[in-house]
Amino acid sequence: MNTRVAEPPKPGSDHDGLLVTNMRKAFFPGTPNEVVALDRVDLLVHPGDFVTIIGSNGAGKSTLLNAIAGTFPVDRGSIVIAGRNVTREAEHTRARLVGRVFQDPRAGTAPSMSIEENLSMAMLRGQRRGLRRGVNGNRRREIQDQLGLLGMSLEGRVSAEVAKLSGGQRQAVSLLMATIAEPRLLLLDEHTAALDPKVAQTIMDLTGKIVMERRLTTLMVTHNMELALRWGNRLVMMHQGRIVLDVGQKDKSGLKVADLVAKFHEVAGESLVVDRMLLD
Amino acid sequence: MTGILTSGLEQGLVFSFMVLGVFVTFRVLDFPDLTVDGSIVTGAAVTAMALTNGWSPALATATGTLAGFAAGTVTGILHVLLKSGSDATNYGPKLLAGILTMTGLYSLNLRIMGLGTSATARSNVPLLGEPTLIESIENLLSIELTTWRLIAALAILALVIKLVLDWFLHTEVGLAMQATGDNEQMIKALGVNTTVVRIAGLGLANALVALSGALVAQTQGFADIGMGIGTIVAGLAGVIIGEVLFGSRSVTWVLFSVIGGSVVYRLLIAGALRVEQIDPTDLRLLTAILVVIALATPTVRRKVVRM
Ligand SMILES: Nc1ncnc2c1ncn2[C@@H]1O[C@H](COP(=O)(O)OP(=O)(O)OP(=O)(O)O)[C@@H](O)[C@H]1O
Ligand SMILES: [Mg+2]
Repeated sequence: MNTRVAEPPKPGSDHDGLLVTNMRKAFFPGTPNEVVALDRVDLLVHPGDFVTIIGSNGAGKSTLLNAIAGTFPVDRGSIVIAGRNVTREAEHTRARLVGRVFQDPRAGTAPSMSIEENLSMAMLRGQRRGLRRGVNGNRRREIQDQLGLLGMSLEGRVSAEVAKLSGGQRQAVSLLMATIAEPRLLLLDEHTAALDPKVAQTIMDLTGKIVMERRLTTLMVTHNMELALRWGNRLVMMHQGRIVLDVGQKDKSGLKVADLVAKFHEVAGESLVVDRMLLD
Repeated sequence: MTGILTSGLEQGLVFSFMVLGVFVTFRVLDFPDLTVDGSIVTGAAVTAMALTNGWSPALATATGTLAGFAAGTVTGILHVLLKSGSDATNYGPKLLAGILTMTGLYSLNLRIMGLGTSATARSNVPLLGEPTLIESIENLLSIELTTWRLIAALAILALVIKLVLDWFLHTEVGLAMQATGDNEQMIKALGVNTTVVRIAGLGLANALVALSGALVAQTQGFADIGMGIGTIVAGLAGVIIGEVLFGSRSVTWVLFSVIGGSVVYRLLIAGALRVEQIDPTDLRLLTAILVVIALATPTVRRKVVRM
């Protein structure tokens, strides 16, 4: 496909969000083990939208985010981010547009490098890297400012190895790394699930603050229905590779956990185990 | 005693570039690269052939070094072809890529040393009477490079290469290279083509290894097909000894440490050779035992687990 695409349109225009059309992804296709992880998925996300995504284990939530980020090619359908058709682009090419935070705090950072080195690398997201110094005065100042906003006293420890940080601190740094270069799309995959409740709360509050301040278009996968209802202006439920529920701001504000459970039983059948969704 | 000291220092410095190269592959790229047994000979062979064909020592050394770079990129490309998926901790394809290049280089090195002679292949190129880098420096400074002056010159070269490598690893590209070995998925998600970075990194590492080869040929006066055997283990010994004795608190520091490790290792070897019962042919066994002993130490094991 065409590799030279026009610059993404300015923020606020209609095409500045995310458009996924008729997407399909199967693992082990053509074998007895074939798993259709995504099937006929259509999703239009407007710029600045904060979409929460719920669904049972294996519903295809992570696969959807991986497909958008380009971890693997999809079988069918197209992905347009900020007006740019990225369907055939390599992961590192579309990385310019997409910031991600994973469940595992170790996934988003380079452990044996320092906090400032990690954040300096993140500031160059999608840019050509050259033989200039990676951590320079300007970057260090901005990094300290940004770390200050976290309220974790990390601004005084910029040269500390990331491996020495706690899980929560590390996830906060991951979140900053994903957002510091203002991506056009932020993908969060259960990014507070591995943290203890208090730390999870802190990271979620930070996430909300950063997403609001920078008006980032965001998809957030969670198993916690309370979180899914409290945060964001839209809620999507997935089941067996399909989007089975999609509610906007107006309807979402009236929704309760019990309504979601009922909806879930409706699509999945009573017999299906939803314990993980209920327990969280 | 001074014999042990001077020969240990000289050898340690000559091989310090190889140890830096092994450090770049094992530690920075998390890529246990076996190419080095071949690329050190390539560096020596290409340099020796260039010298016997009348090239200036500086140009010959640079060409040998570049040949090592090329060998490293071949390993990087083979790795791309051999690996399936993007599991960074899958060392099988990495080891195999290095073994394949090393094996191929064995024949190629014999061919290189036979270039321009009646033989198609040669296992040895003597440099008797050829001007080497040592004479170039003597002419440049109009002094005679006595043993200690040669050691000083090598130390300065090691320092310069160390500073350049240190600088490079802290540039934007260098940080991306460090991250490729530390958390590839993360740096990929920041838009870096880690495939290209890894190929370049392997090139860089093997260029350093070949530089050692070029200097070995010029200080001992010949290039030889057998000189590469056991390079990887010797390099590993230098890295581990350096890290254990001198620490690895930062990249800047650890680059000094591994140069120190290279010197300590060669001092140990030079000392061992003075023991009557030990024959030079025993050295590789001794090195292997040394690495095993080091690995058996818990503090070392913790460091090496990352390899
Ligand atoms: N890389 C992969 N290889 C093979 N199968 C996969 C892969 N990734 C996902 N799958 C399969 O695709 C289906 C959807 O998985 P996915 O990880 O997207 O679910 P999920 O909604 O994120 O679930 P969870 O809530 O458990 O994280 C599952 O059946 C899973 O086994
Ligand atoms: Mg998942």
